[in-house]
Amino acid sequence: MRHYEIMVILDPSLEERTVAPSLDTYLNVIRTAGGSVEKTDVWGRRRLAYEINKKAEGIYAVVDLQATPAAVAELDRQLRLNESVLRTKVIRPEMR
Amino acid sequence: MAKAAALRKPKKKVNPLDKDGITYIDYKDTALLRKFISDRGKIRARRVTGVTSQQQRQIARAVKNAREMALLPYTATTR
Repeated sequence: MRHYEIMVILDPSLEERTVAPSLDTYLNVIRTAGGSVEKTDVWGRRRLAYEINKKAEGIYAVVDLQATPAAVAELDRQLRLNESVLRTKVIRPEMR
Repeated sequence: MAKAAALRKPKKKVNPLDKDGITYIDYKDTALLRKFISDRGKIRARRVTGVTSQQQRQIARAVKNAREMALLPYTATTR
């Protein structure tokens, strides 16, 4: 088990209210693999420093979790398949 | 007299991170990272910022992570 932090940028045309529940369904991948989700933080709409896929804004969300590397890789893969996910980043905060 | 002025010692810089007691540089903390980039978006040199070489590497990595997530610009053309 390792501590991971995953940041996701979502399409700004989504309803902000639906972000947290839909993100949670993705996080079931972690839970079924024996990991635990410690914190999900939806920042909300934020201006991007540069355009991504012609979009000037994005909905940011940050998730803290404990999981195995394989579970996190699978979560990242599934997030990338979703077209309303503009970008993801997986970070291990202790690795510095 | 003019010679002595040319050889003056540069003022010792205070380390901005040690001063504020920051040990971990988070790529999400754009307010902090903006202190270490120029107004064109370039990472400032260590001789300008006065941090240690280890801290400079952490700053560089944090800025690059922040750029990937569009929190900071790769280039800023404010001209």
